[in-house]
This record gives sequence, structure tokens and C-alpha cells, in this order.
Amino acid sequence: MKPPAFLYACPRSLEEALDLAAAHGDEAKLLAGGQSLVAMMNLRLAEPKVLIDLNRVAELGFVRRENGSLQVGAMTRHRPMEVSPTVREAEPLLSRVAREIGHLAIRNRGTIGGSLAHADPAAEWPLVAVTLDARLTLRSTVGVRSLRAREFFQGPLTTRAAPTEILTAVTFPVAPTASRFAFHELCRRPGDFAIVAVACRVTLDAAGAARAATLGVGGAHGTPLHVPEVERILAGSRGEEAAIREAGDAAARAAEPGGDVHGSADYRRRMVAVLTRRALRHAFGHPQVPS
Amino acid sequence: MSELRERRPIRLVVNGQPVEREVAVRQLLADFLRDDLGLTATRLGCEHGVCGACTVMLDGQSVRSCLLFAVQADGTELRTVEGLADGERMHPLQQAFWDHHALQCGFCTSGFLMTALDFLEKSPNASEAEIRQALSGNLCRCTGYANIVDAVAAALKGNP
Amino acid sequence: MSAGGTTAKLLGARVRRLEDPRVLLGKTRYVDDVRLPGVLAMAFVRSPYAHARIRSIDLQAARRAADVIAAFAAADIEPFLPPLRYDHDPATGRAPCRSVVWPVLASGKARFVGEAVAVVVAQSRAAAEDAALLVEVEWDPLEPVVDLERASEPGAPLVHEEWPDNVFQRVAVSLGDVAGAFRGAHVVISERFRTGRHMALPIEGRGVVASWEEASETLTVWASTQMPHVLRAEIARIVGLGEHAVRVIARDVGGGFGLKAHVFPEELLVAVLARRLRRPVEWIEDRREHLAASQHAKDQIVRAELALAKDGTMLGLRTHVTCDIGAYTEYPWPTFEANVTAMAMPGPYTIAAYAYETLSVATNKCSIGAYRGVGQPIGVLALERLIDVGAERLGLDRVEIRRRNMIAGPEHPYTTVHGTQIESGSHRQCLEKAVEMIDVRGFEARRQQARARRRRRGFGIASYVEVTAPSSQVWQMLGPATGGFEPATLRMETDGRVTVAIGVNSQGQSHETTFAQIAADRLGVPLADVRVVQGDTATTPRGWVTGGSKSAVATGGAVLRAAAKVRAKLLLAASRLTEIPAADLDLQGGAVCRAVDGAAVVPIRDVARAVWLARAGLPSDEEPGLEVTTHYEPPPLTHSNATHAVEVEVDVETGEVRIVRYVVAEDCGTILNPMVVDGQIQGGVAQGIGSALYEEVVYDENGQLLTGTLMDYLPPTAADVPRVEIVHFETPSPHTEGGMKGVGEGGAIAPPAAIANAVADALGEFSPRVNRIPLTPERVLALIEPRR
Repeated sequence: MKPPAFLYACPRSLEEALDLAAAHGDEAKLLAGGQSLVAMMNLRLAEPKVLIDLNRVAELGFVRRENGSLQVGAMTRHRPMEVSPTVREAEPLLSRVAREIGHLAIRNRGTIGGSLAHADPAAEWPLVAVTLDARLTLRSTVGVRSLRAREFFQGPLTTRAAPTEILTAVTFPVAPTASRFAFHELCRRPGDFAIVAVACRVTLDAAGAARAATLGVGGAHGTPLHVPEVERILAGSRGEEAAIREAGDAAARAAEPGGDVHGSADYRRRMVAVLTRRALRHAFGHPQVPS
Repeated sequence: MSELRERRPIRLVVNGQPVEREVAVRQLLADFLRDDLGLTATRLGCEHGVCGACTVMLDGQSVRSCLLFAVQADGTELRTVEGLADGERMHPLQQAFWDHHALQCGFCTSGFLMTALDFLEKSPNASEAEIRQALSGNLCRCTGYANIVDAVAAALKGNP
Repeated sequence: MSAGGTTAKLLGARVRRLEDPRVLLGKTRYVDDVRLPGVLAMAFVRSPYAHARIRSIDLQAARRAADVIAAFAAADIEPFLPPLRYDHDPATGRAPCRSVVWPVLASGKARFVGEAVAVVVAQSRAAAEDAALLVEVEWDPLEPVVDLERASEPGAPLVHEEWPDNVFQRVAVSLGDVAGAFRGAHVVISERFRTGRHMALPIEGRGVVASWEEASETLTVWASTQMPHVLRAEIARIVGLGEHAVRVIARDVGGGFGLKAHVFPEELLVAVLARRLRRPVEWIEDRREHLAASQHAKDQIVRAELALAKDGTMLGLRTHVTCDIGAYTEYPWPTFEANVTAMAMPGPYTIAAYAYETLSVATNKCSIGAYRGVGQPIGVLALERLIDVGAERLGLDRVEIRRRNMIAGPEHPYTTVHGTQIESGSHRQCLEKAVEMIDVRGFEARRQQARARRRRRGFGIASYVEVTAPSSQVWQMLGPATGGFEPATLRMETDGRVTVAIGVNSQGQSHETTFAQIAADRLGVPLADVRVVQGDTATTPRGWVTGGSKSAVATGGAVLRAAAKVRAKLLLAASRLTEIPAADLDLQGGAVCRAVDGAAVVPIRDVARAVWLARAGLPSDEEPGLEVTTHYEPPPLTHSNATHAVEVEVDVETGEVRIVRYVVAEDCGTILNPMVVDGQIQGGVAQGIGSALYEEVVYDENGQLLTGTLMDYLPPTAADVPRVEIVHFETPSPHTEGGMKGVGEGGAIAPPAAIANAVADALGEFSPRVNRIPLTPERVLALIEPRR
């Protein structure tokens, strides 16, 4: 399974990379971590005429906390996200999720920007970006724009990025104080793509009732799915089982899963409800098995 | 350089030795090691990044050499299984694998060794469950894994 | 652990493997490590359709592509490489089957997705793959036959148009008074079992390199194979050379499990093209080809009925096995999996009436072939499930009903309903031991604790008798036309070192160590002084296949006999040289010793040298030299046995099954190296767990393969396979040389049954019908919450 022939460019600056993207448009693909792209090229499912290697563009690798947000350069790899104290202090959901991605060898190379741009609906970074309402920075030779993650994903492996654009950074809000998160993933084996995954963050008031909540579902829809109805259901809740059940049902109703050899649409829909309940019980700090 | 190329010269260090070659940009790092350098201990089991048989160390980190192009290794330091032993003296991991019957057909072994090498350096106090998780990205069809886990645990204790 | 002690007994010792250093240090020679100057690479064009007529193939663009040497389709190669043919030979006494014509490249039509249609030979694999995409094939798609039950119905599309229907073979056997047994039954348990197609998936795929040397008129073929000598004979025959002009080398092989105990069209094509093109040619299979077009296994429906008396006595059994064999037979044997499934029952149970029918049907899928245990895991699954359901129906304890019906020790040799003799076995001991190991007594408490966590626990038991190491006569009746005997050539050199050349090769079974242990033990030399030679037809005596759990028995027996002869000669020579009677001498630690006190008398190597120089004063009717070749034909059948027990925990909201504990009580007779045996069992159980919970080759209704990469076909990982706890009962076979019984496949035979029984037990309150593997979470959930 040898990859097809291509022309290779190795820019050393973002400016060079943008020029190349502008010059070659949809005939080119950006090489980030390569953990998805090179596999697809070996399978000849991707046959770019030009490969623009971003791995020497140093300015795309950074993690910065500024003004209540965490800014992550697109070429930041999963492993640094997993172990970075800055990330863990700003938004520990990101650290938690990073360590679930594949296996160490994949995390050593794969990048957050690559994962977002690849837009696999079962992948972890797209789910978390949508759940936390992250913003993505896209640059081209003609300018820069900022897109909400919730508007970025259009379908499986499809995003709003233009072929001449490079995703350069993703910005996450810093986790509010007095908020708790959970991430639950259903996979056949560790490191596999999720059949269904749920990420959530719940912010509690002084009395321990939810004053804000956000929940996203992965693997059960064409794109990662934010379920706003969950926030409405949980408003003021202390995580009572009835509210959690209702939230699970709402998430399951909102999802439009497809089916494949790992799980039918019907199974995935049911698992959305199950994982939503488990994630919310976890976030509220309740036992996993309601009495 | 942002010129478009089909071939590029690369310079790197492999198992402590400097290497200079010209490679086709489409050549995978695994094939470069095997075909151009004759280092055939790094093996191909799937060519799509799942089985882990092709794992090598690049700049001190375990990577899947079937998911890297040789050209990307320019300026890097690579370590393969051939560079683990000190002459005929085995690395403690290799010794542990031998002592614990952690291989049968041997085809997956190089990948496990390099994966374990990275893991040992990063998680020196791992439990058995953590070892199993860490090894779950490498496939073996012969051993059923138990002895591989034992070998890695023994190497962790410094007690191969 | 001994690294090869000179005074410690080596037979039965946990000895570190001699083959490991070269693997660990990266000095192996798997087939893709063979680097011949000027070698050409091959890539295939493979059918995208399950069933389609080939209207035309245009190779022009491919032939003109960069770095391409040649490209061929069926019409180009048929003049020198006719289709493979399997024809039933009535003289074998086997059940008849259809003749199968298997074109090396699809001719006229393609019969499964992935079938080779054209081949490109180029300077590199990348160039060959590039050019393969330029081959233009015009297809007329045909309706495929994909469902194994519909395949035998009238009107189904024909996979082979020269057949009247898609039935490859039908077998019907009735043993004992089956009708009477069922008439007299208090209860009859019936079920229909469906096992999902899966496959061996060795981490090294198939591969061949061939090189023709004009000067010596020799074709040398390196192959990732389980049978160098058999492959050699087939290549010679098909390529049109004398067998003596072909050499096959299998130096290191990265796993086989039965898949590589076959001859494949691609292998023959490489051999033929190397000769015709006068250049070395290689084909190294990639994983996508492997998943689609190598060999699958165990795609069956088994309808089974068990007749029980009120007290749980098993009175009779009826089974009907339907097996989807794919588009072609395995080669060069007639696909025999269905018959093995049927004959795996009634296993260790004393059932005296058994009627079975097997129906092997062709479909538009990749062919199936023997994979570790062949049909035995399926036969055991069916019977063990019926027993559990029967126990429940009769209100009997699941262990007790088995106890009542198992062959007891004193009943050996036990004549089975098949008319075969089980010469020895420890069925009841293994059952009791496994039950004790899994702690059945403490189980209820664990079950209740799990309930509190919203999990369901269950345990399951499965026992089997495995037929191992059949004799030549039996092999030919069961299926493969191979011999059952194996050779060994043992030579002690003038410096006392020993070479043991065997006829089979290892794909992980540790032959280089275990057979060296035998020789070292019998000849009293250090293990490090013994070298096992295997895998090269030019340097080894002619043997057969590593398969059928036969190596310890057949090759082990041959090595034992050869070593005995050399030992006798050494002692005779030593007695002549020392004037001490041979009966008072022993061989230990590299020296001839006095048996009574172990005192060394003369180094063995001095005796060896004297023998070679004809100075040992041996009698004139004694052949000179210290080299012996023996051939050992094992008894018709040998039997191993085991009981597996497993405790599982089910998440009733997701359907996920977690294995809490897995135990094995087994008996493979005399153990050569317990470390190796444990490793074989642990590895076999892992594959069994894969088939029970994870692995399935899935085709859609158009015969399109949905599990085309390792992201979709899921072998279990280190996080999924528990450590198997193993206890051995060593009941030496009374019939085999050395008492070995064979253990290569056993670990894979019981897991589907044990795990299915455990899941059924865990979910008892839902009255589940557990009759399907793999038990994926979705399928388990459907047992708990039927689909809305």
C-alpha cells in the first residue's frame, strides 16, 4: 500500500505556507501530524498533487493563556496537550481528552489543528471544540477570519475551511471556577475511534445548582453535536436523576447517527443517552449507579 | 525551502550514525529504513498506523514509521531496534523479553520494544493496567500479550 | 530459569528460547528481508465486484507506465500457468466434492471482491501499484450470491457455472440409534448457531520471492509458509520443473495459524514469472490484500439438537452444519472445515448416538481455509451451549450434568461414537480443576456485588477433546493429502556439536528450542551445542506441514527416535573405548559418565570423533558415522483435552463484556517446555477471545467487504486479553513416542463456548438466546433490550 506520487514543499514560515496554499488550492493538502492523512494516502483514499508540510512552521506550535482564554497553535501535538500544566490549569477537560487519543506514538505526532481540519465526527478535538464553543483562526494570503467551532464542521470530513486557508490556532475559554467536567467514550478497544463520545462541563452556583452547562456528542452525527437543550434542562438542577435522564433523552433525540460495522444507528442513539447520563452523573459528582 | 520537489536530500542520524541520502518524497520512513539502510528490524504489518510493528524512536519519541515520509526525518535522530543493544549486550528490555518468553514468531517484537522504550522513559511507575493500556496500540497474534506485559513490568522494576 | 543448563534435566524444563536473540537484535530474515539484487515487485489488480463478468482487460497503459517490466491478465498466463484444479479422488475414501477450477488470474469472471484479475511487474512496488491503477477492465456485474443459506437454494446465482448448484460437498453420517435416542428423550434442546466469519490475521502477511538460476537450473523460492516441502512439490509440478530443481526457504515466518498451510495462486505466479522473466520477482502482500483476498474461516450455521434423559444423561445428538466456503476451495486440500465442526462433537461426552450432515457451499466471497482449531471451536460452541440450556431446562447444575456424561479415566481407551479411540485423557480432572480455579463456590457473592454496580456477572465452562497429529492415513481421509509422519536427521559432529534437521518449520512454535531440548537431553550435551535446522528444503529431510497440533508428536517423536539411535551408538562406542559396559554408562554434561556416580570418563566429543574416524572399534555391521535419519508415523489419532472456564461481567446498558478471569486446565501429555506450552495456550485463548467478542469479516448484501482495514477488523489488544491461569495435567499418551499429545491449537478451541456460556449465565434473568458470535456489545444489548 504505497502512497501515490506527489510534489513536496516544506515551508519554514507561515507566510511561505500560506503562499503555497494560495498557489495550489485544492490540489494541495496540508501535512500536519500525518496520522490520518498519510494512512489515507497509503490506502490511496487521498491523492494530493502537492503536500505542504507544516511541521517546520515553528510559529504554529504554541500554548498560551491570555485574558480568560487558552490559545493553542494548530501544530501543537496531542502529547504536549496531554502533559501541559498550562492546559491542565486552564481547562482540564482538554488534558483528559488528549490522553484518550489513539496511542502514545500517535499522540507524539498528531496535532490539534490536523484533527480539527480532518473533521472526523468521532474524533476528540472536534467534539471538545464544539462542546466548549471554541473559536478557530483561519488564515489565507487575503486575510484572517475567526469561526466558531460550532459553525466550522459541515459534515463528515468536511469543514468550512477554504482550500487556500490554513487553520492556525484554536482558542478555548478558560474553564469557569466552580465548574466540573466529564468525558465518556465508548470504544471497542482502547485508542479506537469512539463509537459514541460525550463531553460536558457544568458550572454550579454557590448552592450547588447548575447555572450553566454545555454538552456535546461525538460519533453519533455527521458532525460533533452540541445539544443546547441539555443546558435548558439542567438549569438550576443539582443533578437529580430525573433531570439527567431527560437530558440523556434530549441528546439522543438530537443526534442523527449513521451506522457502520461498529454500531448501528439505533445502537448509537441509545448509547448517546447512556453516555450522556453517565457523563452528567460524573460532572455533578454523583455515584454512577443511582440508588 | 518551499520549492516543490519529487526528490530531496536528507541528513539524519540513525542509531548514532550520520546518514546522508537522497530520497523520493513519497517514500515512507519505514521503507527508507528497510530498503535504503538495510535496517530490516523495523517491520510493516499494516501500513495504516494501526498495528504498531513499524514503531521507531524519532528525536526521543515513539512514532509509527509507516505514517511518516522519509523526507520528514531530515535533521532528526532516529533509533531503531538495531540500535538498542550495546554490541552483543542486550538492552534491559530485550533481555526482559528473552527472559519472559515475550515473543513467538517475533514479527511484532521490534514494535513492542520501541513502544515499551518510550513508555518506560515516560511512566517509570506504571501499574499493570497502565502497561496494558500503553501496549494496546501494538498488535500481537501469537503471545496473547501476558508475557510481553511481564517483560515490560520487569524492565520497569529494573529487574529483567 | 535455566539458560541451557548442562546438568539440569532439559526435557520438560522452562528453557529460554534459542531463536530469540536474533529477533531481539534485529537479525531476522522474514521473506520481506530477502533482498535480491535486481528483484522486481508485483502488484495485483483486484476485482471491485463480488461477481462480475470480465468483458475486456486493457493492459496497454499499464505496460507503458514508468518502471514497468510487464503486465499480465489470464489470457497471457494461461499458456504457461493453467488454473489450479482440485478434483476429488475416490481412492482416498473421502466424501466426494465438486471439482474446483481456480484460475490464477480471474478468467471470464471474478468471483469475489479482491480476486486477482491482472498483475503488474515493475522495478518497485510503488511503480507497480501506480501502473495497476492504469489497467482498464470492463465489467458486466452479475448478481452475487452472498447468503450461505440462499446459496444452496434453487435459482441462486452460480459461483461456478459448471456446477449444477453452489454445493461443494454434502456429507451425511448416522452413528448409533439416533432415532431411538430422540424418541426416548425426556427433553430435546435445539438451537441454531451462527458464527461470524473471521480470519487468522498473522502480523506478517503472505509473501514470496523467487529467483531462477540458469547455471544450476534451480528455482529458489523464499516464502512465508507453514509447509516448505509441500509448497516445493506444488511449485515444481505447476511450473513444470522436477522437484529436485526447486528449493523453498522459509527462514523466519511471522505467524501462520493455518492460513499459511496452503498454496496460493499468487505464490505460484511469482515462481512462474521469475523463471519466465529471468529476473528475481517478489510479492509481499499488504494488509488490505490480506484482509480481502488471503483466507478467511469459520463462517457457519450449525443447527443442533441434544436429546436428554430426565437425569441429564445425554442420549443423542443431531447436527446440521452449513459452511460458507467462499469462491474456491482451500488448496491443495478440499475445504474440510464443516466436517471438522461435525466431528468435534460429542467431544469428551459419552453420547452413543449421533447423526450429522454437513453442507459446504460456495459464495462470492474470499475462500476459507483451516485456521487454528478449524471447525472444532464451532462444534464445541454448539454442544456446550446446548448442554447449558439443557441443564437449565432440567433444573440441573451445569457442572453436574457435565460430570455425569464425561468420559471417566478408567474408560480409556474409549471408543467414541465415531468409532475412533481416545487412548487416554483427563477430562473429569480438568473439569473439576477448572471449576475449582474459577471459584464457582464463591461466585454467587461476586454476582451479587456486581449487581449492586449495575453489572451482571456470569461464568461459563467448556471442555473439548482435540484430535491431534493424525497419521498419514487419517489425514488423507479427513482432508489434506499430506503425510502424518515427520522426519528428523540428527548428526553429531566431530566436535560433539549436534545438528537436528526437521521437516517442518516454525512460525512461532519454538521448534528451535524444544527439539534442541530433546536432543540435548538425550545426548547429554549442553543446549547451546545443539542447532535445529528448519525451513530450507535443501538442508532438511522431507516433511509436511506445521499444523494439526502435530509438531510435538510427529517431529518430536522423530527427534526422540533419532536421538535414541545416536545415543545408543555413542554408548556402544564409548563402551568399546573405555571397556565399561554400555549399560553402566550415561551421557551428561558433555561427558560419558559412569551411571552409578556420574563420574566423567571421557568427553562425548572424543567419542564422536573416534566414531567418525572409524577408530571406535564398532562392529562391522554397524554403519559408520553419527548421523541418523528417522521417519516417525504417529498413531492414527492422538487426543489432547482441556476445560476452560471464564468469568465475565456485562455492562447491561452498553452490552460490553469484560473478562474478569480466564482459567484453563489442560492435558497435552508429556510437556517438552512448559513455558512454550503456556505461551501457545495464552496465544490461542487470545485468538479465541477475538472470535468470541471482537473479530468479524463483514460483507454487505452485494458482497462488498466492509472490514477492509484494521480499523474495522478488530483483533484484541493487551488491554482486552487477560492473563490466562493455566494448570497442566500430564497424562502421557500411551501411544506416541515420548507421550506428547499436541497443544498448538487447543487454546483457541474452547473460548467461544466458554464465553458464550458465561454471557448467557450473566444475562439469565433476560432469558437470552445466546447463539451467535462474535458477541459484540450491540448484539449483547439486543439480548437484554430487544430492538424497539
